[in-house]
Amino acid sequence: MTIDTLKRFLTFSFFCLAQALFFNRIQLFNCAMPLVYVYFALMFPRNHPKWSSLLWCFAMGLTIDMFTNTPGVASFSLTLIGAIQPYLLELFIPRDAEEDMKASASVIGWGKFTTYATIIVLLYCLTFFSIEAFNFYNWQHWLQSIGGSAVLTLILILSLESIRK
Amino acid sequence: MNNLLTFLTQHFHWLLFLFLEAVSVVMLFSYNSYQASVWVSSANLIAGKIYSWQSNVEHFFSLTLQNEELTERNIFLERQVDKLRQQLLDLKTDTTVVAEELKRAMPESSFQLIPAKVVSNSIIDADNLITIDKGSADGVRTDMGVVCGNGIVGVVYLVSQHYAVVIPALNKRSRISCAIRNSNYFGYMSWTGGDPTRAYIEDIPRHAKFKKGDWIVTSGYSSIFPHGISVGKIEKIFNSLDGLSYRLQVHLSTDFASLRDVCVINDKNIIERMRLKEAANDSLMLMPQKDK
Repeated sequence: MTIDTLKRFLTFSFFCLAQALFFNRIQLFNCAMPLVYVYFALMFPRNHPKWSSLLWCFAMGLTIDMFTNTPGVASFSLTLIGAIQPYLLELFIPRDAEEDMKASASVIGWGKFTTYATIIVLLYCLTFFSIEAFNFYNWQHWLQSIGGSAVLTLILILSLESIRK
Repeated sequence: MNNLLTFLTQHFHWLLFLFLEAVSVVMLFSYNSYQASVWVSSANLIAGKIYSWQSNVEHFFSLTLQNEELTERNIFLERQVDKLRQQLLDLKTDTTVVAEELKRAMPESSFQLIPAKVVSNSIIDADNLITIDKGSADGVRTDMGVVCGNGIVGVVYLVSQHYAVVIPALNKRSRISCAIRNSNYFGYMSWTGGDPTRAYIEDIPRHAKFKKGDWIVTSGYSSIFPHGISVGKIEKIFNSLDGLSYRLQVHLSTDFASLRDVCVINDKNIIERMRLKEAANDSLMLMPQKDK
Protein backbone atom coordinates (compact mmCIF):
# COMPACT_ATOMS: atom_id res chain seq x y z
CA MET A 1 0.00 0.00 0.00
CA THR A 2 2.71 2.42 1.04
CA ILE A 3 4.90 1.50 -1.93
CA ASP A 4 1.90 1.92 -4.17
CA THR A 5 1.25 5.41 -2.76
CA LEU A 6 4.90 6.31 -3.12
CA LYS A 7 4.89 5.17 -6.75
CA ARG A 8 1.78 7.17 -7.38
CA PHE A 9 3.33 10.21 -5.78
CA LEU A 10 6.38 9.90 -8.04
CA THR A 11 4.17 9.58 -11.12
CA PHE A 12 2.21 12.57 -9.88
CA SER A 13 5.36 14.69 -9.53
CA PHE A 14 6.64 13.52 -12.88
CA PHE A 15 3.48 14.53 -14.73
CA CYS A 16 3.22 17.85 -12.88
CA LEU A 17 6.77 18.77 -13.75
CA ALA A 18 6.55 17.50 -17.31
CA GLN A 19 3.43 19.53 -17.87
CA ALA A 20 4.66 22.67 -16.12
CA LEU A 21 8.11 22.75 -17.60
CA PHE A 22 7.63 21.23 -21.01
CA PHE A 23 4.15 20.54 -22.34
CA ASN A 24 2.71 23.89 -21.29
CA ARG A 25 5.16 25.52 -23.67
CA ILE A 26 3.73 23.70 -26.63
CA GLN A 27 0.82 25.05 -28.58
CA LEU A 28 0.41 23.84 -32.12
CA PHE A 29 -1.56 25.81 -34.71
CA ASN A 30 -2.76 28.11 -31.95
CA CYS A 31 -5.19 25.48 -30.72
CA ALA A 32 -3.63 22.12 -29.90
CA MET A 33 -2.23 21.93 -26.39
CA PRO A 34 -0.89 18.67 -25.00
CA LEU A 35 -2.64 17.99 -21.67
CA VAL A 36 -0.63 14.91 -20.88
CA TYR A 37 -1.39 14.93 -17.14
CA VAL A 38 -4.81 13.43 -17.92
CA TYR A 39 -2.87 10.18 -18.32
CA PHE A 40 -2.41 10.20 -14.54
CA ALA A 41 -6.18 9.98 -14.09
CA LEU A 42 -6.39 7.10 -16.56
CA MET A 43 -4.02 4.91 -14.62
CA PHE A 44 -6.06 4.13 -11.50
CA PRO A 45 -6.65 0.37 -11.34
CA ARG A 46 -10.00 -1.30 -10.92
CA ASN A 47 -11.53 -0.94 -7.46
CA HIS A 48 -9.11 1.74 -6.43
CA PRO A 49 -10.79 3.63 -3.55
CA LYS A 50 -12.92 6.27 -5.19
CA TRP A 51 -12.17 8.96 -2.61
CA SER A 52 -8.46 8.40 -3.17
CA SER A 53 -8.60 8.83 -6.93
CA LEU A 54 -10.81 11.90 -6.46
CA LEU A 55 -8.30 13.49 -4.11
CA TRP A 56 -5.37 12.62 -6.34
CA CYS A 57 -7.12 14.09 -9.36
CA PHE A 58 -8.06 17.23 -7.48
CA ALA A 59 -4.49 17.66 -6.26
CA MET A 60 -3.17 17.16 -9.78
CA GLY A 61 -5.60 19.70 -11.19
CA LEU A 62 -4.74 22.17 -8.47
CA THR A 63 -1.02 21.82 -9.12
CA ILE A 64 -1.49 22.31 -12.84
CA ASP A 65 -3.66 25.36 -12.09
CA MET A 66 -0.90 26.72 -9.93
CA PHE A 67 1.57 26.61 -12.77
CA THR A 68 -0.75 27.99 -15.42
CA ASN A 69 -2.50 30.56 -13.21
CA THR A 70 -5.93 29.21 -14.01
CA PRO A 71 -7.30 28.39 -10.54
CA GLY A 72 -10.23 26.03 -10.66
CA VAL A 73 -10.17 25.18 -14.34
CA ALA A 74 -8.00 22.08 -14.34
CA SER A 75 -8.99 21.04 -10.81
CA PHE A 76 -12.70 21.12 -11.68
CA SER A 77 -12.23 19.19 -14.92
CA LEU A 78 -9.83 16.63 -13.51
CA THR A 79 -11.98 15.98 -10.42
CA LEU A 80 -14.83 15.26 -12.80
CA ILE A 81 -12.64 12.78 -14.65
CA GLY A 82 -11.62 11.25 -11.34
CA ALA A 83 -15.27 10.67 -10.50
CA ILE A 84 -16.15 9.16 -13.87
CA GLN A 85 -13.04 7.07 -14.46
CA PRO A 86 -13.91 4.06 -12.23
CA TYR A 87 -17.36 3.68 -13.83
CA LEU A 88 -15.99 4.07 -17.32
CA LEU A 89 -13.19 1.57 -16.75
CA GLU A 90 -15.78 -0.95 -15.57
CA LEU A 91 -17.36 -0.83 -19.04
CA PHE A 92 -14.19 -1.91 -20.77
CA ILE A 93 -13.16 -4.84 -18.63
CA PRO A 94 -14.84 -8.22 -18.31
CA ARG A 95 -16.97 -8.80 -15.24
CA ASP A 96 -14.86 -11.65 -14.03
CA ALA A 97 -11.64 -9.68 -14.29
CA GLU A 98 -9.18 -9.45 -11.44
CA GLU A 99 -10.20 -7.25 -8.54
CA ASP A 100 -7.30 -4.82 -8.92
CA MET A 101 -6.91 -5.08 -12.67
CA LYS A 102 -4.62 -2.45 -14.12
CA ALA A 103 -6.01 0.02 -16.62
CA SER A 104 -3.30 -0.51 -19.20
CA ALA A 105 -3.28 -1.49 -22.85
CA SER A 106 -1.34 -4.67 -22.19
CA VAL A 107 -4.10 -5.95 -19.88
CA ILE A 108 -7.33 -4.78 -21.48
CA GLY A 109 -6.09 -4.71 -25.07
CA TRP A 110 -5.13 -1.84 -27.35
CA GLY A 111 -8.51 -1.38 -28.99
CA LYS A 112 -10.38 -1.09 -25.72
CA PHE A 113 -7.72 1.03 -24.11
CA THR A 114 -7.75 3.47 -27.02
CA THR A 115 -11.52 3.87 -26.81
CA TYR A 116 -11.34 4.28 -23.04
CA ALA A 117 -8.58 6.90 -23.32
CA THR A 118 -10.36 8.71 -26.16
CA ILE A 119 -13.57 9.09 -24.15
CA ILE A 120 -11.74 10.39 -21.09
CA VAL A 121 -9.49 12.76 -23.02
CA LEU A 122 -12.37 14.12 -25.08
CA LEU A 123 -14.46 14.63 -21.98
CA TYR A 124 -11.59 16.33 -20.23
CA CYS A 125 -10.87 18.66 -23.14
CA LEU A 126 -14.56 19.48 -23.43
CA THR A 127 -14.91 20.51 -19.77
CA PHE A 128 -11.50 22.15 -19.63
CA PHE A 129 -11.98 24.41 -22.63
CA SER A 130 -15.63 25.12 -21.82
CA ILE A 131 -14.71 26.41 -18.37
CA GLU A 132 -11.69 28.22 -19.69
CA ALA A 133 -13.59 30.03 -22.41
CA PHE A 134 -16.77 30.28 -20.32
CA ASN A 135 -18.76 31.51 -23.26
CA PHE A 136 -19.57 30.20 -26.69
CA TYR A 137 -18.97 33.42 -28.49
CA ASN A 138 -15.86 32.16 -30.25
CA TRP A 139 -17.24 28.68 -30.75
CA GLN A 140 -15.01 27.86 -33.73
CA HIS A 141 -11.88 28.36 -31.71
CA TRP A 142 -13.47 26.45 -28.87
CA LEU A 143 -14.13 23.47 -31.14
CA GLN A 144 -10.67 23.68 -32.63
CA SER A 145 -9.10 23.74 -29.19
CA ILE A 146 -11.06 20.72 -28.04
CA GLY A 147 -10.36 18.73 -31.20
CA GLY A 148 -6.71 19.70 -31.56
CA SER A 149 -5.85 19.24 -27.92
CA ALA A 150 -7.69 15.94 -27.66
CA VAL A 151 -5.88 14.52 -30.68
CA LEU A 152 -2.47 15.74 -29.55
CA THR A 153 -3.00 14.56 -25.97
CA LEU A 154 -4.25 11.20 -27.14
CA ILE A 155 -1.25 10.67 -29.39
CA LEU A 156 1.10 11.46 -26.54
CA ILE A 157 -0.78 9.29 -24.06
CA LEU A 158 -0.87 6.32 -26.42
CA SER A 159 2.83 6.66 -27.16
CA LEU A 160 3.55 6.84 -23.43
CA GLU A 161 1.35 3.78 -22.94
CA SER A 162 3.30 1.87 -25.57
CA ILE A 163 6.58 2.39 -23.75
CA ARG A 164 5.13 1.71 -20.31
CA LYS A 165 5.60 -1.81 -19.00
CA MET B 1 -29.99 6.90 11.62
CA ASN B 2 -28.21 3.68 10.78
CA ASN B 3 -29.57 3.85 7.29
CA LEU B 4 -28.28 7.35 6.90
CA LEU B 5 -24.79 6.32 8.04
CA THR B 6 -24.69 3.41 5.60
CA PHE B 7 -25.87 5.70 2.87
CA LEU B 8 -23.15 8.21 3.71
CA THR B 9 -20.35 5.63 3.80
CA GLN B 10 -21.53 4.07 0.55
CA HIS B 11 -21.79 7.32 -1.24
CA PHE B 12 -19.02 9.11 0.57
CA HIS B 13 -17.09 9.62 -2.67
CA TRP B 14 -19.97 11.48 -4.24
CA LEU B 15 -20.03 13.90 -1.33
CA LEU B 16 -16.28 14.31 -1.65
CA PHE B 17 -16.71 14.87 -5.35
CA LEU B 18 -19.29 17.58 -4.78
CA PHE B 19 -17.10 19.18 -2.15
CA LEU B 20 -14.02 19.24 -4.39
CA GLU B 21 -16.00 20.59 -7.32
CA ALA B 22 -17.39 23.28 -5.04
CA VAL B 23 -13.88 24.23 -4.00
CA SER B 24 -12.87 24.41 -7.65
CA VAL B 25 -15.82 26.60 -8.52
CA VAL B 26 -15.07 28.90 -5.60
CA MET B 27 -11.51 29.19 -6.83
CA LEU B 28 -12.74 29.78 -10.34
CA PHE B 29 -14.90 32.71 -9.30
CA SER B 30 -12.85 34.21 -6.50
CA TYR B 31 -9.72 34.54 -8.58
CA ASN B 32 -10.13 38.27 -8.67
CA SER B 33 -9.56 38.62 -4.95
CA TYR B 34 -5.85 38.80 -4.66
CA GLN B 35 -5.48 37.35 -1.17
CA ALA B 36 -7.07 34.09 -2.13
CA SER B 37 -5.48 33.77 -5.50
CA VAL B 38 -1.85 34.11 -4.56
CA TRP B 39 -1.84 30.60 -3.09
CA VAL B 40 -3.18 29.03 -6.23
CA SER B 41 -0.97 30.83 -8.67
CA SER B 42 2.58 30.61 -9.88
CA ALA B 43 3.40 33.17 -7.20
CA ASN B 44 3.40 30.54 -4.49
CA LEU B 45 6.63 29.14 -3.18
CA ILE B 46 6.73 25.77 -4.93
CA ALA B 47 5.67 26.92 -8.36
CA GLY B 48 7.89 29.99 -8.10
CA LYS B 49 10.90 27.92 -7.11
CA ILE B 50 10.37 25.44 -9.91
CA TYR B 51 9.98 28.23 -12.44
CA SER B 52 13.14 29.89 -11.19
CA TRP B 53 15.03 26.61 -11.65
CA GLN B 54 13.65 26.38 -15.13
CA SER B 55 14.73 29.88 -15.96
CA ASN B 56 18.19 29.04 -14.66
CA VAL B 57 18.31 26.09 -17.02
CA GLU B 58 17.06 28.23 -19.87
CA HIS B 59 19.63 30.82 -18.96
CA PHE B 60 22.27 28.13 -19.33
CA PHE B 61 21.10 27.31 -22.81
CA SER B 62 20.91 30.96 -23.82
CA LEU B 63 24.61 31.18 -23.03
CA THR B 64 25.24 30.43 -26.69
CA LEU B 65 23.85 33.80 -27.64
CA GLN B 66 25.69 35.55 -24.87
CA ASN B 67 28.85 33.82 -25.96
CA GLU B 68 28.41 35.19 -29.43
CA GLU B 69 28.00 38.71 -28.13
CA LEU B 70 30.97 38.35 -25.86
CA THR B 71 33.11 37.11 -28.74
CA GLU B 72 32.25 40.19 -30.70
CA ARG B 73 32.87 42.38 -27.69
CA ASN B 74 36.18 40.69 -27.07
CA ILE B 75 37.41 41.38 -30.57
CA PHE B 76 36.33 44.97 -30.28
CA LEU B 77 38.11 45.40 -26.96
CA GLU B 78 41.21 43.65 -28.20
CA ARG B 79 41.38 46.07 -31.06
CA GLN B 80 40.84 48.97 -28.73
CA VAL B 81 43.59 47.82 -26.40
CA ASP B 82 45.91 47.43 -29.33
CA LYS B 83 45.09 50.87 -30.60
CA LEU B 84 45.80 52.36 -27.20
CA ARG B 85 49.00 50.38 -26.88
CA GLN B 86 50.05 51.60 -30.27
CA GLN B 87 49.22 55.14 -29.28
CA LEU B 88 51.24 54.79 -26.13
CA LEU B 89 54.16 53.48 -28.09
CA ASP B 90 53.90 56.33 -30.55
CA LEU B 91 53.70 58.85 -27.73
CA LYS B 92 56.78 57.40 -26.12
CA THR B 93 58.88 57.36 -29.24
CA ASP B 94 57.55 59.97 -31.53
CA THR B 95 55.60 63.17 -31.48
CA THR B 96 51.85 63.06 -31.11
CA VAL B 97 51.42 64.33 -34.61
CA VAL B 98 52.06 60.88 -36.03
CA ALA B 99 49.43 59.31 -33.83
CA GLU B 100 46.94 61.92 -34.89
CA GLU B 101 47.73 61.25 -38.51
CA LEU B 102 47.36 57.53 -38.00
CA LYS B 103 44.04 58.05 -36.34
CA ARG B 104 42.82 60.11 -39.22
CA ALA B 105 44.08 57.65 -41.78
CA MET B 106 42.46 54.66 -40.09
CA PRO B 107 39.27 55.71 -38.39
CA GLU B 108 37.85 53.13 -36.03
CA SER B 109 34.59 52.97 -37.92
CA SER B 110 36.30 51.64 -41.00
CA PHE B 111 36.12 48.19 -39.44
CA GLN B 112 32.85 46.40 -39.33
CA LEU B 113 32.45 42.98 -37.76
CA ILE B 114 30.09 40.45 -39.30
CA PRO B 115 29.37 37.72 -36.74
CA ALA B 116 29.16 34.24 -38.21
CA LYS B 117 28.92 30.63 -37.11
CA VAL B 118 31.21 27.84 -38.20
CA VAL B 119 29.11 25.34 -40.11
CA SER B 120 31.79 22.83 -40.97
CA ASN B 121 35.36 22.61 -39.92
CA SER B 122 38.29 20.25 -40.23
CA ILE B 123 41.67 20.26 -38.55
CA ILE B 124 43.19 16.94 -39.57
CA ASP B 125 43.57 17.44 -43.32
CA ALA B 126 46.65 18.96 -44.90
CA ASP B 127 44.53 21.73 -46.38
CA ASN B 128 41.76 22.44 -43.96
CA LEU B 129 38.81 24.58 -44.90
CA ILE B 130 36.15 26.16 -42.74
CA THR B 131 32.61 26.96 -43.85
CA ILE B 132 30.77 29.79 -42.16
CA ASP B 133 27.09 30.68 -42.34
CA LYS B 134 27.42 34.18 -43.77
CA GLY B 135 27.78 34.98 -47.43
CA SER B 136 27.60 37.76 -49.95
CA ALA B 137 24.07 38.60 -48.81
CA ASP B 138 25.53 39.51 -45.42
CA GLY B 139 28.34 41.56 -46.90
CA VAL B 140 31.08 38.94 -46.88
CA ARG B 141 33.51 39.14 -49.80
CA THR B 142 36.60 37.20 -50.71
CA ASP B 143 39.89 38.15 -49.03
CA MET B 144 38.24 39.36 -45.89
CA GLY B 145 39.84 38.38 -42.62
CA VAL B 146 38.06 36.07 -40.18
CA VAL B 147 38.78 36.22 -36.47
CA CYS B 148 37.39 34.71 -33.31
CA GLY B 149 37.51 35.90 -29.73
CA ASN B 150 40.91 34.34 -29.13
CA GLY B 151 42.69 35.32 -32.30
CA ILE B 152 42.84 34.95 -36.04
CA VAL B 153 41.04 32.24 -37.95
CA GLY B 154 41.77 32.78 -41.62
CA VAL B 155 40.86 34.50 -44.84
CA VAL B 156 37.63 34.23 -46.83
CA TYR B 157 38.29 32.27 -49.98
CA LEU B 158 34.96 31.51 -51.67
CA VAL B 159 31.66 33.27 -51.15
CA SER B 160 28.19 32.06 -52.06
CA GLN B 161 25.04 33.94 -51.23
CA HIS B 162 24.63 32.64 -47.69
CA TYR B 163 27.82 30.77 -46.98
CA ALA B 164 31.51 31.35 -47.30
CA VAL B 165 34.56 29.10 -47.32
CA VAL B 166 37.49 30.28 -45.25
CA ILE B 167 41.11 29.25 -45.64
CA PRO B 168 42.13 28.97 -42.00
CA ALA B 169 45.63 29.38 -40.67
CA LEU B 170 45.72 25.58 -40.67
CA ASN B 171 46.11 25.38 -44.43
CA LYS B 172 49.32 25.06 -46.35
CA ARG B 173 48.23 27.82 -48.70
CA SER B 174 47.64 30.23 -45.87
CA ARG B 175 50.10 33.11 -45.67
CA ILE B 176 49.18 35.62 -43.00
CA SER B 177 51.39 38.59 -42.35
CA CYS B 178 52.41 38.66 -38.68
CA ALA B 179 54.51 40.76 -36.39
CA ILE B 180 56.00 40.48 -32.92
CA ARG B 181 53.95 42.55 -30.53
CA ASN B 182 55.59 45.81 -29.45
CA SER B 183 58.53 45.45 -31.79
CA ASN B 184 56.85 45.31 -35.20
CA TYR B 185 59.38 43.02 -36.85
CA PHE B 186 57.29 41.10 -39.25
CA GLY B 187 57.15 37.83 -41.09
CA TYR B 188 54.49 35.55 -42.41
CA MET B 189 52.80 32.60 -40.85
CA SER B 190 52.76 29.19 -42.44
CA TRP B 191 51.50 25.82 -41.36
CA THR B 192 53.18 22.59 -42.30
CA GLY B 193 50.44 20.18 -41.36
CA GLY B 194 50.21 17.98 -38.33
CA ASP B 195 49.57 19.58 -34.97
CA PRO B 196 46.60 21.98 -35.20
CA THR B 197 47.91 24.08 -32.33
CA ARG B 198 51.28 24.93 -33.87
CA ALA B 199 52.33 27.09 -36.80
CA TYR B 200 55.52 28.76 -37.93
CA ILE B 201 56.45 32.37 -38.51
CA GLU B 202 58.98 32.69 -41.29
CA ASP B 203 61.29 35.49 -42.34
CA ILE B 204 61.78 37.18 -38.99
CA PRO B 205 64.96 39.22 -39.46
CA ARG B 206 68.10 38.20 -37.59
CA HIS B 207 68.42 41.49 -35.77
CA ALA B 208 64.89 41.36 -34.30
CA LYS B 209 64.74 41.29 -30.53
CA PHE B 210 62.24 38.92 -28.94
CA LYS B 211 62.09 36.06 -26.51
CA LYS B 212 60.12 32.91 -25.94
CA GLY B 213 56.62 33.62 -24.75
CA ASP B 214 56.31 36.87 -26.70
CA TRP B 215 53.03 37.38 -28.48
CA ILE B 216 52.70 37.28 -32.22
CA VAL B 217 50.00 39.52 -33.65
CA THR B 218 48.85 40.37 -37.14
CA SER B 219 50.96 43.04 -38.73
CA GLY B 220 48.21 44.93 -40.49
CA TYR B 221 50.27 45.06 -43.68
CA SER B 222 48.23 42.53 -45.56
CA SER B 223 45.13 44.74 -45.67
CA ILE B 224 43.16 41.68 -44.60
CA PHE B 225 43.54 41.88 -40.86
CA PRO B 226 43.83 45.05 -38.86
CA HIS B 227 46.95 45.44 -36.81
CA GLY B 228 47.23 43.64 -33.49
CA ILE B 229 44.94 40.64 -33.58
CA SER B 230 46.62 37.93 -31.57
CA VAL B 231 47.99 34.92 -33.42
CA GLY B 232 49.88 33.01 -30.74
CA LYS B 233 52.83 32.79 -28.41
CA ILE B 234 56.41 32.04 -29.42
CA GLU B 235 57.25 28.51 -28.33
CA LYS B 236 60.58 27.72 -30.00
CA ILE B 237 63.07 29.64 -32.08
CA PHE B 238 64.79 28.06 -35.06
CA ASN B 239 67.11 29.33 -37.77
CA SER B 240 65.59 29.38 -41.20
CA LEU B 241 66.90 26.93 -43.77
CA ASP B 242 69.09 29.50 -45.49
CA GLY B 243 70.26 30.87 -42.15
CA LEU B 244 69.36 34.43 -43.00
CA SER B 245 66.33 34.75 -40.77
CA TYR B 246 64.55 33.20 -37.81
CA ARG B 247 61.76 30.70 -37.96
CA LEU B 248 59.52 30.81 -34.92
CA GLN B 249 57.31 28.03 -33.76
CA VAL B 250 54.17 29.54 -32.25
CA HIS B 251 51.42 28.07 -30.18
CA LEU B 252 48.25 29.36 -31.83
CA SER B 253 45.92 31.23 -29.53
CA THR B 254 42.89 30.11 -31.53
CA ASP B 255 41.59 26.65 -30.70
CA PHE B 256 40.61 25.49 -34.16
CA ALA B 257 39.23 22.23 -32.84
CA SER B 258 36.43 23.96 -30.92
CA LEU B 259 35.81 26.88 -33.22
CA ARG B 260 32.19 28.00 -33.30
CA ASP B 261 31.60 31.74 -33.22
CA VAL B 262 33.71 33.85 -35.52
CA CYS B 263 33.60 37.35 -36.98
CA VAL B 264 34.38 38.43 -40.50
CA ILE B 265 36.25 41.71 -40.61
CA ASN B 266 34.87 44.05 -43.16
CA ASP B 267 37.44 46.76 -43.67
CA LYS B 268 35.84 49.50 -45.68
CA ASN B 269 39.23 50.75 -46.67
CA ILE B 270 40.22 47.41 -48.10
CA ILE B 271 39.05 48.21 -51.61
CA GLU B 272 40.86 51.51 -51.61
CA ARG B 273 44.04 49.91 -50.37
CA MET B 274 43.84 47.07 -52.86
CA ARG B 275 43.32 49.52 -55.69
CA LEU B 276 46.29 51.53 -54.58
CA LYS B 277 48.37 48.40 -54.39
CA GLU B 278 47.28 47.34 -57.85
CA ALA B 279 48.02 50.77 -59.21
CA ALA B 280 51.46 50.63 -57.61
CA ASN B 281 52.09 47.21 -59.09
CA ASP B 282 50.95 48.39 -62.50
CA SER B 283 53.18 51.43 -62.42
CA LEU B 284 56.10 49.31 -61.29
CA MET B 285 55.58 47.07 -64.29
CA LEU B 286 55.34 50.04 -66.60
CA MET B 287 58.57 51.47 -65.29
CA PRO B 288 61.53 50.76 -67.55
CA GLN B 289 63.52 48.05 -65.86
CA LYS B 290 67.08 49.15 -65.98
CA ASP B 291 68.84 46.05 -64.82
CA LYS B 292 67.70 44.02 -67.77
